[in-house]
Amino acid sequence: MEDSRHEGPGEDDERKDAEPGGADSTAGGSEDPRGPEAPPPPPPADAPTEPLPQQPRRLLRSRSNRVIAGVCGGLGQYFNVDPIIFRIATVVLTLIGGAGVLFYLAALVLVPSEPVEGAAPQPPGEGRNRALVIALVIVALIVAWPFLLGGGVIAAGILIPIAFLVGAGVLVWWLVSGEGPSGDAGDIARRAALGIGVLILCGVIALAGAWAAAAGGGTIVAILVVLAGAAILAGAFLKPVRWLVLPAIALGLSAGAVSAAGIDLDGGVGDKRYRPISTVDLRDRYELGIGKLEVDLRSTDLPAGDLPLELDVGVGEARVVVPRDVCVWTDADVGAGAVRVFDRDSGGVDVDVIDEPGSRPDITRLVVNADIGVGALNVVHDPDDADDHGFDRGFDEDFENSSVAAGNSACTGRGVSERE
Amino acid sequence: MNANRPDVRSIVAGTCVLALGAVLLLDQTGVIELSFGVLAPVACAVTGAILLANGLGRRE
Repeated sequence: MEDSRHEGPGEDDERKDAEPGGADSTAGGSEDPRGPEAPPPPPPADAPTEPLPQQPRRLLRSRSNRVIAGVCGGLGQYFNVDPIIFRIATVVLTLIGGAGVLFYLAALVLVPSEPVEGAAPQPPGEGRNRALVIALVIVALIVAWPFLLGGGVIAAGILIPIAFLVGAGVLVWWLVSGEGPSGDAGDIARRAALGIGVLILCGVIALAGAWAAAAGGGTIVAILVVLAGAAILAGAFLKPVRWLVLPAIALGLSAGAVSAAGIDLDGGVGDKRYRPISTVDLRDRYELGIGKLEVDLRSTDLPAGDLPLELDVGVGEARVVVPRDVCVWTDADVGAGAVRVFDRDSGGVDVDVIDEPGSRPDITRLVVNADIGVGALNVVHDPDDADDHGFDRGFDEDFENSSVAAGNSACTGRGVSERE
Repeated sequence: MNANRPDVRSIVAGTCVLALGAVLLLDQTGVIELSFGVLAPVACAVTGAILLANGLGRRE
């Protein structure tokens, strides 16, 4: 603790006051001249003393070395360097963007002042909480200062991820081990590094779990999560295995997200484009794991009547290009993403679109049944139209509207087909 | 830790992870259909309960 390591001027004065009596009396001989009621003399300077219990150092605003509020003086005492360095840094930061003022104000609010001699010390727990707040403020300042400089895009691009990573590392390590960001800078850096390590490990586990679930191993992942939960529960009565909690949650949530989105990697990875010439070439079902799937029917000789087309894409886009004389009936289920049918679209999570226009018996009605995990379904007349999606301009979400989409002009109405 | 006293944080975390695994298993067997509308509250509840137990456990 700083109070036990650093000697302020008050302590020096106290020692000077005590020295004459103590030193003289010990040199005077074996008989105590101050009488039986006098306090015992202080031990000599070289006498062995009991070591004080190790306490974390505390950052305090200095009372003896202050220009405004003792922030830089306190930092100098804390890091055992000349406070003028912090003063120069504060002034420079103030001049090149104003971060110095923010930093000083934050420290003024958050860092307590050195206690007055004889005042009761602060409870030990408060120091840790304050250190946590200080660490968060420092992270916030690191994030904010490139913006304060006005256009420090490159600096922001580098510093913001680093700041978030360090903050996340400290938080994760706090969750895993219970060690908060107290102690000196080296301790905090060590904990941040360990936390980042745990974070990376959890990321790898989450990716592996997501991949396994998408590849058909969802049941195995679910069983692993159940077993991990049982192990943690059993550990509560035997030996705690709390380190298992974060990896188990990472595994479970990633597999859950894959399952909720309905991502299925069957069908492979990459871009696939189909241009069937006739209905013989046209499959009932097209499937793709990750990538872009395009079925272009503009040159296909399509028969009159209902023509089913099933699309299954795990992650990516399914695009159906149809001629203008084809009516399109759509039933699409998208875990996260968007559905666009000509000039109508809907987006978000758990998107379920059913668009049931009617049509005349003598024209083709394409019955599109799409299941997209994460991505989009685009039904268009021109492939270039698919690039204009609702994420840029906001979604219409008017599939419930009673009228038929303007682009679906081959259809005659909604609800019941004229064919029926 | 007291040998006679179970670790409350582990009990809460273990129960939450077990529940998450059970939801996944039910989804895989087709008993329930997992969607983001179901998963998001489950994820929030699991993380919230674990953080709460972690924080309260430290105060003891």
